[in-house]
Amino acid sequence: MSRVFITGLGFITSIGNDSAQVEDSLRHLKHGFELYPPFQTPDTPCKVAGTIKGFFTDSGDQEDWTYPERYKFKRELMRTMAPNGLFAHCALLQAIEDAKLSDEDISNPDTGLNAASGGSPFLTHYNHERLQKLGVMRCSPFGIVSSIVGTLNFNLVAAFKIQGSSCGFSSACASSAHALGFAYDDIKLGRQKRMFVVGAEDGNKDAILPFAGMRTLSLQTDPAIASRPFDAARDGFVGTGGSCVLVLESEEEVLRRGVTPYAEVIGWGQASDGYNVAISHPEGNGLQLAMKRALASASLAPENVDYVNAHATSTLIGDISEVKALKAVFPQASTKPYVSSTKALTGHGLSLAGAMESAFSVLAMKRGFIPGSAHISKIDPACEGIAILKETLNEAPSVVMKNASGFGGANVSVLFKKV
Amino acid sequence: MPEAASSHTGTKAPFIALAKPFTPEDEVALREALKRCSPSTFESAVQFRKTGNPEHLPAVVIGVIERYVEPELRVKLKDAADDLRMIEDLGIDSLTMMEIVILVEDVLQMTINNEELRNLRTVGDVKAFIDCKVRGLPLPKPTKFLPIEHIASVMPIQPPFLFINEASVSSLGANGKYKISGQEFFLQGHFKDNPVMPASIMLEALGQLAVLYLLEGLVPEAGKAVAPNLIYFTGCEGVRAHRICKPGDILSLAIKPKRMKMPLATFEGSIRVGQEKAVIAEEFTLTFGFVDVPVAPPATEVQGAPASQPAPSAS
Repeated sequence: MSRVFITGLGFITSIGNDSAQVEDSLRHLKHGFELYPPFQTPDTPCKVAGTIKGFFTDSGDQEDWTYPERYKFKRELMRTMAPNGLFAHCALLQAIEDAKLSDEDISNPDTGLNAASGGSPFLTHYNHERLQKLGVMRCSPFGIVSSIVGTLNFNLVAAFKIQGSSCGFSSACASSAHALGFAYDDIKLGRQKRMFVVGAEDGNKDAILPFAGMRTLSLQTDPAIASRPFDAARDGFVGTGGSCVLVLESEEEVLRRGVTPYAEVIGWGQASDGYNVAISHPEGNGLQLAMKRALASASLAPENVDYVNAHATSTLIGDISEVKALKAVFPQASTKPYVSSTKALTGHGLSLAGAMESAFSVLAMKRGFIPGSAHISKIDPACEGIAILKETLNEAPSVVMKNASGFGGANVSVLFKKV
Repeated sequence: MPEAASSHTGTKAPFIALAKPFTPEDEVALREALKRCSPSTFESAVQFRKTGNPEHLPAVVIGVIERYVEPELRVKLKDAADDLRMIEDLGIDSLTMMEIVILVEDVLQMTINNEELRNLRTVGDVKAFIDCKVRGLPLPKPTKFLPIEHIASVMPIQPPFLFINEASVSSLGANGKYKISGQEFFLQGHFKDNPVMPASIMLEALGQLAVLYLLEGLVPEAGKAVAPNLIYFTGCEGVRAHRICKPGDILSLAIKPKRMKMPLATFEGSIRVGQEKAVIAEEFTLTFGFVDVPVAPPATEVQGAPASQPAPSAS
């Protein structure tokens, strides 16, 4: 069984569009929130979002989009993309450069791609509206490939000429953590030598506002305190989009290419709550089992974990479930592992969350720090009893656990080890 | 630019009846639809929508195609020959073709179905198709691309005196290419130490393309076929040579029928090398004749066979 390493990262996030900027934001707890212009209408109670800077994608016509100068896109490539596809393409280019991959390394039968996004409700809406207005035969020929769930893998696999395995993952906010787990399996089992793991979301009005009806969005108007996982005054999550990409490679490839990895992926686990379509289990049952399975697959004792990058989205119920699960899994939870939620800085990236926060975790591990859990002024008493880190700690964790939970009670836990 | 819109019919069909008046709201929608096309494309579309005059169509169609062609290939559309191929020359894939069709449908207020779409291979095909569609004329036969083997098998003229390497033929005319190899026997003497393609041979090449058109492009009445051995040259007018053509040059030949009245067929023709004009023949005439052929019984439908090709499927 091959060992699996992370050799490249790419970031288009609310807290930075490259690894240097992201590192700075994580280290110094700089958030990426703004009063998002499309939300500033009287009938939109939710005002804040984790915005992607340097991009304009709020148009159904891709030729209206703008993006940072370092990227070049032909019309032919853009026309089939959702905003999350554009973000992901940029993040993938970064990850490829970061991992020092040649064209041959990317396009061959042993290199695959796992992707996760919620599709593009924005473009689905736009195209359906045109279909009804202009007629069935005059809707865009790219309406489907640019907007359905799967648009991310369709576009990236074609654009980067991926020849190995490819798949889209759809387990809501656990999606890209699943994508990472199964990519790890593919390499470990020798089915692939290299996998790109991609998470992405539009992060615009149509992607975020539908959560308002569930009363899960923060209605806070101050961007500096809207997202505050574990805080007593938290009132819901703040939405965000963007994309993160991780390059996973077999040990053999790492040695052959002579590159230095960020970290090793040492195991993962998943389990389901079997409880409610949208509410997490009050004791975090599924998440407990996912964490235990991850530890078992890596043959690790709970005491070996130094830091947990929590799923904690800043919702009332979800954060408490996770705290209970952590207490159940880690006997010394009050002192170890450290726990923080970087969603306090970025907002909740939905399908993107698992990949984004895994990338944050291994970046921090490599650069020797543990990001703090920002914006906590008073810890919720129900969240006490775990070692929540309020400030960044300049100390490299040796083993990091990343949790992700999605609708339907899907839970994933992934473990990374310092190299 | 060849005026496909007006040259292929002896008498111009009347303008189409406009479905409804062109309102200011229509103009706003049209401007939005054509916002990434040249201003002249928009102007031509406005004129067409206001008057129904098909003479504005080529500018609209070329303008819409241009909008979807990668910027570096757009130069090819300037003074484009009708045999410019959508896929091979302009890099337009079948999905981009859909985009073009949808915009043309929107701008010209027409409907184009999948079957019709499949036959549009060249810029000329598209222009002629839309012209016929707007005028309510029967649609032209799709362009046939003929390799040298096919040309040699149907032509009464044979090597070393055949001056067409490849050709495309539709009911509207024919286009062909001939590369001057330098091995042509007459170049040894024409001229001494200075091989130049004789102008008379270039006119001959145009005549040969017209012969190919009569055999492959003309639609005779049922039971008749053009007889290869009854085609001869009779005369020409307004022939001018503009450019010396030498070994290595690729001659782009084009002919269009002007008048067709048994036993005479009159054509106009031109030869270009790249974008440069080489020879113009305002008029040349061939005589031709028909032979009887047995009428094939109408094909009976095979049970269970699809009535038409299924649409290409994406997944």
